[in-house]
Amino acid sequence: MSRSVWKGPFVDSYVLKKAEASRESGRNEVIKIWSRRSTILPQFVGLTFGVYNGHKHIPVNVSEEMIGQKFGEYSPTRTYYGHAADKKAKRK
Amino acid sequence: MARIAGVNIPTAKRVPIALTYITGIGNSSAQAICEAVGIDASRRVNELSDAEVLAVREHIDANYTVEGDLRRDVQMNVKRLMDLGCYRGLRHRRNLPVRGQRTHTNARTRKGPAKAIAGKKK
Repeated sequence: MSRSVWKGPFVDSYVLKKAEASRESGRNEVIKIWSRRSTILPQFVGLTFGVYNGHKHIPVNVSEEMIGQKFGEYSPTRTYYGHAADKKAKRK
Repeated sequence: MARIAGVNIPTAKRVPIALTYITGIGNSSAQAICEAVGIDASRRVNELSDAEVLAVREHIDANYTVEGDLRRDVQMNVKRLMDLGCYRGLRHRRNLPVRGQRTHTNARTRKGPAKAIAGKKK
């Protein structure tokens, strides 16, 4: 079920603060955030966030199409390189 | 033979059934079309007059996205997700289930037929 509209989008408040600060400073540097659960708001467009995936901060350049989704969707938490060919099977 | 929405030529079936042969029109929208155009659900396609076929065709053109247009829309939506680099896009790229289903077993619709792993059993 989707979130009630009257609550408005969920954003951790420190994300808003950091975003605003970087807007004012004007320098476009990666804003490190841990809040994967925060919604991407229209005022974040153009900024670059480093979204933590449990290991490191993945840089995410926010574009207009991302609005309404969550930061976590852009920072995959799993690495999978496929299965290596089985050694035992080769020996037989 | 009635041509509705491009290449579709539904046969001697009842109208609501025949309409479902068009991509993008299922049971409920087929029934809704019949009702809107005023065709009895028990009538068959070959009993329809040219005027009625035309009415159905125009109604579909005006109100529904079907066939090639629909397929292109879906393709575009998938492509958008893939270009965004979001989780759903990644799943589409790897041909794995997109909506959080398990992949330990099952997920054969997305993964395709099972591939045997050589020497897995002892």
